[in-house]
Amino acid sequence: MTITQVRDTSVQPNGGSGHGAPLLDVRGLTVDIAVPAGTLHAVSDVSFAVNPGETFCIVGESGCGKTITSLAVMRLLPKTARIAAQRILFEGRDLLGLSDKEILGLRGNRLGMIFQDPMTSLNPVFTIGNQLEEVYLRHRNSGRREARERAEFLLEKVGIQSPAMRLGQYPHQLSGGLRQRMMIAMTLMCEPALLIADEPTTALDVTVQAQILQLLKNLQREFRTALILITHDLGIVARMADRVAIMYAGRVVETGTSAEIFAAPQHPYTRGLLACIPVPGSQGKRLGSIPGIVPSLIGENEGCMFRNRCPYAGESCRHGEIALRELSPGRGYRCILEPGHAISEATREPATTASQATVQ
Amino acid sequence: MNQIIELPGRAERAATDASVLLDCRNLSRTFIVGGSLFSKAKELRAVDRVNVSVRRGEVLAIVGESGSGKTTLGRMMLGILPPTSGEMLLDGKPVSGIDRKTLARRIQPIFQDPYSSLNPRKTVAQIIGLPLAVHGIEAGAARDRRVEEIMERVGLSRRLIHSYPNQLSGGQRQRVAIARALVVQPEIVVCDEPTSALDVSVQAQILNLLVDLRNEFNLTYIFISHDLGVVEYIADQLAVMYMGQVVEAGPRHEVLEQRRHPYTQALLGSVLTPDPSLGLPDLQIGRGFPDIMHPPSGCHFHPRCPSAMPVCSAVEPPAFRDSAGLVHCHLFSGEGSSATRPIAQ
Repeated sequence: MTITQVRDTSVQPNGGSGHGAPLLDVRGLTVDIAVPAGTLHAVSDVSFAVNPGETFCIVGESGCGKTITSLAVMRLLPKTARIAAQRILFEGRDLLGLSDKEILGLRGNRLGMIFQDPMTSLNPVFTIGNQLEEVYLRHRNSGRREARERAEFLLEKVGIQSPAMRLGQYPHQLSGGLRQRMMIAMTLMCEPALLIADEPTTALDVTVQAQILQLLKNLQREFRTALILITHDLGIVARMADRVAIMYAGRVVETGTSAEIFAAPQHPYTRGLLACIPVPGSQGKRLGSIPGIVPSLIGENEGCMFRNRCPYAGESCRHGEIALRELSPGRGYRCILEPGHAISEATREPATTASQATVQ
Repeated sequence: MNQIIELPGRAERAATDASVLLDCRNLSRTFIVGGSLFSKAKELRAVDRVNVSVRRGEVLAIVGESGSGKTTLGRMMLGILPPTSGEMLLDGKPVSGIDRKTLARRIQPIFQDPYSSLNPRKTVAQIIGLPLAVHGIEAGAARDRRVEEIMERVGLSRRLIHSYPNQLSGGQRQRVAIARALVVQPEIVVCDEPTSALDVSVQAQILNLLVDLRNEFNLTYIFISHDLGVVEYIADQLAVMYMGQVVEAGPRHEVLEQRRHPYTQALLGSVLTPDPSLGLPDLQIGRGFPDIMHPPSGCHFHPRCPSAMPVCSAVEPPAFRDSAGLVHCHLFSGEGSSATRPIAQ
């Protein structure tokens, strides 16, 4: 992982509601990965801010760079990745400037991460208790007994019955839902200020998914943890997010509050995505779909990355970098279409989707 | 669930009712798990006395969570897996009397993962042409033409004809799988989670395609899925499975509106529609993880059920049938003997 720091030009952190500094402030994050065929521009000029205690959703389809963005924040990218950014400020410290030792002190302590697959993210040869206590022993000056008490307390918090017995078990003895609860308990051992959850419920059944999301929300409220939720599921976004960033081909194409994004989506991609979801009452009607496929991110790209799939694309979409239009602080979209034009079109397509959803 | 009371003359009804294409009767499949020097082999009832049927041209969706037996049921329908007990009728004739090849020509699969269900060493033309070769349909230029026709029909560009699967995107691969299934002109297509490995925008393309193809070729789909949003979009009939058993079945709108079984309620309640004004659902179900090796006594759902009564843990709920479908739940069996008697549709 090579880190280049582009020195800061603007100090104004946007995206926040204005009061106080954001907990995490990412400005101009770019990640390039060397692959045999050239350079893969996985993430290009991504900026966002997360306030204390809020839920921020990064949404997009596979390959859009949402996971790479979160791994860059955690400084978990492999050596072949080149990171450049104006800043990644977390609690006022620039994560890019920290030494490996310093970042180790933050991970698992102030920064927690939950991965998608609870089957592979726990170590199979250690007991659950071992793995939970390890985090605490590492970051807190405490003895085993205190760590065990903390582990039992948290297992109870995440809704696991007879925690003492569970702590002695190995991961293979638990179901998927239980393992994901263990993962959540583990990340909460040191009460992190920021929790990054990458598709935390994708591997789980729907009834379990609802329970895990509910649990995350309750714990977040109780521990006042900020949550970055990475998902491809717009249903989850609608029910969980305070603010949303929609990513496409390594770029943030639209940002706003959850209500803004769903009520008046501006970017053609966002509108296309919303029209794709089968909702109650859609039977017999054709689903909206986005023609074509995501462009390759290898090599140099110019213009709007969505233009090959966009119904409104024109000559001016081919060249230059499309700027993010800011409608208000924290609300913007990366498209040349005028907001008025986009809204009038939007009410025809995805707004019907939204109204059908409310009928349910 | 073994107390399904056979409607008098049900067999005749099915035989005369020409529209019932595939009829599964008391279908079960048991696997033997484990069994070594040190441990005794155990029985796993993956599918337990399932009764479902589908009429020609309809879409029967089988919904359930992982381990509910929906894939095993689909494999039995395909003839890949012989049932342990029970029987399956295709057009009124027992499937056991139909030879493997004829059955394969009439019932074709589309699998979940287009990354592992296509042979990586064969080109698109070879993959789609293989069923034609197996069944001895056409030859030479006529066969090639047929491959090209179906490719065009499923939206695959002709320039992909000599491509290998690794050169295709997920959506394109799934189109190849669909073309391969349809090239022999089957009557029934068993789609096992055909879109769950795909992105939403691609999923919509594939769902639209499946609906179009069904109308065009008058196909009958068995659509296996855990995604109720998708199921609601495509299904005519719905069967909800839990731990190997069908707990509720019937016409889609009846099942979705009435939600009579508590498990159906939980499953439908956990669907997250993209509506930010709604919060997270508060599911009234227990967290108990169902262990398929040791299914709970009585009704398998009782440890998680918010409406569980003492009888639920003791007695297996009988089938209750009416015009809105079938439900296996004690909430519907307590109204005296009349309630348990099946009512003709």
